[in-house]
Amino acid sequence: MRFDLGILRPYVGFLAEGALLTAEVCVLALIGSVILGMLVAIARTSSVRWAQWLAFAYVDLFRNIPFLVQLFFFYYGLPEIGLYIDAFTTGVIALSIAGGAYASDVIRAGILAIDNGILEAAEVSGLPRRVTFTKIVLPIALRTSVRPLGSVLINMILTSSILSTITLNELTGNAKIVASETFRPFEVYVVLLVGYAVLTYIVSIAISALHRRLNRDLVEQVS
Amino acid sequence: MRYTNFTPFDLVLLAQGLGVSIGLFLVTTLIGTLIGIALGVVRFYRVPVLMQVVTFITELLKNSPVLVQLFLVFFGFPNFFHINVTPVTAAVITLSANTAAFVYVIAVSAIESIGRDQVEAARVFGLTRWQVLRHVIAPQALAFSIGPLTALMVNQLQVTSLISVIGVMDLAKIGANLNLRTLQPFIVWTAVGILYYLAAKFVALLGGRLEKRLRAYSSFRGL
Repeated sequence: MRFDLGILRPYVGFLAEGALLTAEVCVLALIGSVILGMLVAIARTSSVRWAQWLAFAYVDLFRNIPFLVQLFFFYYGLPEIGLYIDAFTTGVIALSIAGGAYASDVIRAGILAIDNGILEAAEVSGLPRRVTFTKIVLPIALRTSVRPLGSVLINMILTSSILSTITLNELTGNAKIVASETFRPFEVYVVLLVGYAVLTYIVSIAISALHRRLNRDLVEQVS
Repeated sequence: MRYTNFTPFDLVLLAQGLGVSIGLFLVTTLIGTLIGIALGVVRFYRVPVLMQVVTFITELLKNSPVLVQLFLVFFGFPNFFHINVTPVTAAVITLSANTAAFVYVIAVSAIESIGRDQVEAARVFGLTRWQVLRHVIAPQALAFSIGPLTALMVNQLQVTSLISVIGVMDLAKIGANLNLRTLQPFIVWTAVGILYYLAAKFVALLGGRLEKRLRAYSSFRGL
């Protein structure tokens, strides 16, 4: 059979719609996972023993269970306890929770990498611990972890394809529909594969640029 | 009429699913690691055109969702090449290729982690390029790469859950079936999650042991 991409021309708009939904899900889930990751990183670096343990258990659990299983747990489980939410919300929640585990590790590393001198300087200046944390530790930690957070985002874009299994028609879901309408799955999925690769490549370039821009005053350390 | 209660036989089903998951994981890991190392060697010898092709394909495989790769092999290949692809074949091909792409990156960085001076010294002693690879680089590269490899294995074990989408009767698929029959998502998915978790922990444990043994000669013995 001939490899003919012309068949896909009428479906470009439809696929773009899917890509837009993927982008929406990923942006929302990124925000969710950074917030969650921040909270968990705080718990893991705190001196409270049970908070440390709880945070560790969360990260350990969600990093070692397949996302598909987590997703089904939420998608089929939440209605059981009376929470009726649509596939989109479920997807965003599941991605946020799974991504939060990875983001928390990144942010935690950022917090632990902070020079003790900075913390001592803050203490000597008489800043309360909360202010030290929110105004000094967190900004530095978030800034230095832009690039690793970017790889969390890229992973999230790839993982979001799994949301097509809970009837959410994002990029992969729409591509499945196109494949079954045109009977040309090979072309459709080749295009989809290259499309995802290009998309994540662009994102990684953008993240690198952002990282360099935000950390321009400590280039020699992070670069 | 359907039988909605849990039966003792469900445990057998779960064990069966776990067996399929782990079996496929082992097979694809073995094939993927061998291919990945072979590709790393291609890069070590700087084979002209082949090297660029390998880099391009591995980048493509690393930066696209495994689900899309699975669909391409399972739906696309039979349609385009007119061959018969069973779900298990598709799973083995996809997961092996995916693992190979990641192992390639680890192999390349492990080979590059060995200082140039060692290679040059060995060459001066008259060792051929193959002997250098076999006796100087390989032992050290193996010890270097066992950590990243373990992390990759834990990840690939979770990726195997995706093959349930194309109908392989693995642990996730058994979970889906049990869920449909009993309508008790919380119990079913928790059980499935625990099994995956334990399997992942076991892989991590084995990797840690192996790493300790391989690094025994280079670890700090104390003064």
